[in-house]
Amino acid sequence: MTASNEPSAPPAKGGPKESPSVPIRLRPARAADVPALVPLLLRLKRLNEEFDPLLKVRDDAEAQAAQVLKAQIADPKAVVLAVEGVGADKDKVVGVVRALVRERPFYAPPQEGVILDIYLLPLYRRRGVGEFVLRETSEALRTKGAGVVTAEFPAQNEIAQRFYAKRGFRPITEIHARPL
Amino acid sequence: MAESTAAPVANGREPRRPARSEKSAAADRRVADRREDETEALGRRAVELAQFYAGKIETVPKVPVRSLHDFALWYTPGIAAVSRAIHADPDRSFELTGRWNTIAIVTDGSRVLGLGDIGPQAALPVMEGKALLFKFLGGVDAVPIPVEAAAPDRLIATVEALAPAFGGVNLEDIASPKCFGILERLAERLPIPVWHDDQLGTAAATVAGVINALALTDRSFSELRTVLLGAGAANLVTARLLVALGHDVHRLTLVDQKGILSAERDDVDELMLRNPWKYRLALATDGGGRTGGLAEAVDGADLLLAASTPVPGTVRPEHVRAMAPRPIVFALANPEPEIWPDVARSAGAAIVATGRSDFPNQVNNSLIFPAVFRGVLDARARSIPDAVVLAAARELARHAADAGLTPEHLLPTMEEADVFPHIAAAVADESVRLGLARSKHSHDEFLALARSRMGRPAALARALARAGLIPPMPPERVRRKRSP
Repeated sequence: MTASNEPSAPPAKGGPKESPSVPIRLRPARAADVPALVPLLLRLKRLNEEFDPLLKVRDDAEAQAAQVLKAQIADPKAVVLAVEGVGADKDKVVGVVRALVRERPFYAPPQEGVILDIYLLPLYRRRGVGEFVLRETSEALRTKGAGVVTAEFPAQNEIAQRFYAKRGFRPITEIHARPL
Repeated sequence: MAESTAAPVANGREPRRPARSEKSAAADRRVADRREDETEALGRRAVELAQFYAGKIETVPKVPVRSLHDFALWYTPGIAAVSRAIHADPDRSFELTGRWNTIAIVTDGSRVLGLGDIGPQAALPVMEGKALLFKFLGGVDAVPIPVEAAAPDRLIATVEALAPAFGGVNLEDIASPKCFGILERLAERLPIPVWHDDQLGTAAATVAGVINALALTDRSFSELRTVLLGAGAANLVTARLLVALGHDVHRLTLVDQKGILSAERDDVDELMLRNPWKYRLALATDGGGRTGGLAEAVDGADLLLAASTPVPGTVRPEHVRAMAPRPIVFALANPEPEIWPDVARSAGAAIVATGRSDFPNQVNNSLIFPAVFRGVLDARARSIPDAVVLAAARELARHAADAGLTPEHLLPTMEEADVFPHIAAAVADESVRLGLARSKHSHDEFLALARSRMGRPAALARALARAGLIPPMPPERVRRKRSP
């Protein structure tokens, strides 16, 4: 899949789609976006830290974030999207999406689109942006071969649980942890 | 009165020194020392009296008992018919029992006065004192109920279970931010009014002061730029009430110990989880379009509402000087305001209010809560929405205005006792208007009801004291020591 097949608002195909009530532009991230994406990704990781001490953010997380984003932007099996504001927030990156396609050697369908991170700045929440972003990300993952879409988030994050449950997601795998 | 959650530190601008002379700083210290001595002496005396009286309220009969035979009426078998009547129509519990005039004062002891989380037992004397205030000022029978319930769900379930006995619930001394969720959920579930004084009482008294301060300085809510310093229970509700009165939410700037609260501040996601009420206000105000600290916030502001830390100097003269011409400053921290009134005035403040009775313009929730409960109980109201809180605030403001507004007389004092029945009647009227009243009367009827019901406790106490049934206060055992 080439970058030109990635989603941008408004969506070109699929059924009738509700647009977010706040105007945004969704586009594939470029290497040049990394400096703007890193702080957003770190905000999300710090939010995750609130849910569990085993999600403590590393001291070098900033450098890691830049590296991971750069690598995934170049990776054809990954989806990294930038949410841009319009109007007063034109050209400002107000959200980030990170997802990838993972093999499922034992299960059907054989490829799974995993949403690792969706982060939106607070003023872009609860206005349909998340819904739109999720739909477009799912579509991007589908075009990369995924037959199922999954989302990973901290077990205690009830806001994420509700967000995904409302949109037809159910828990299929649980990850339990204890420190060693 | 004020919140103790925020310790804002101004950043950005260099302070213009010297702000105050050494002499006046020394005077401040003397005032503070003297006040500390007084508080200590009052504390010793309070312990003595608590020991002597062993409690401040008791239940007394309000019906004649001519002989034990009368219990066939007051109790079984006669009383069964009363129970049947209520069973058939539960709202008749407001007519046939004392429910109409009885409220629960509920606390978990998690934020008692300035003492912090001292637990329910230690909160009991404070709740008793509040019950006494309710009785004396409002004619309300209030039952202190400190509960062992650290988790909000447990407190909520407990209060819900107790509700059939009461005509209202006063939540008291519950820590922020859990107090917001507790009030919200109880107000939603219970068929009776629920009030949290630290949120609503303080905010209503503050808003009343603001209404009059605007009148005195020819301002209106729609063009006002306001800074709220401290983002605890009272200020978050004050912000909500200001917006309800027509304040542009984008011209409100909240400042807490981390600076201006904006939608993209680093800790905003944490707030979303820990304090959704503050989070929502962060999004709605978005710093009033500003970032930085108190210095950036006050620049050109008309009104500063400080309810933060009791540290004079939290607000500095240069902050006041940076405000719009004829600025209004409310420094509500107790016992020591964020800036002393004389300092604020010499820095140009046109109007200064504090939480203290020894300065002019005390913003005092005791002017609000007894009357609000008198009003909702007289109307047998089902709830207390913000419109009712605002009706109380407006009436309080009007009462001061009728007596003549000056920069030194912004709000009625506790001595202007006639304000209480008027607030009660305004609250009852608004409850009727909103369709929340089980008992509907005209304004004059509500006013007369409030007057007679508020007058009863003092008459009772006088009669009991005359009969020697309330013993006079014993002489002070521990003499106040004089500081050298």
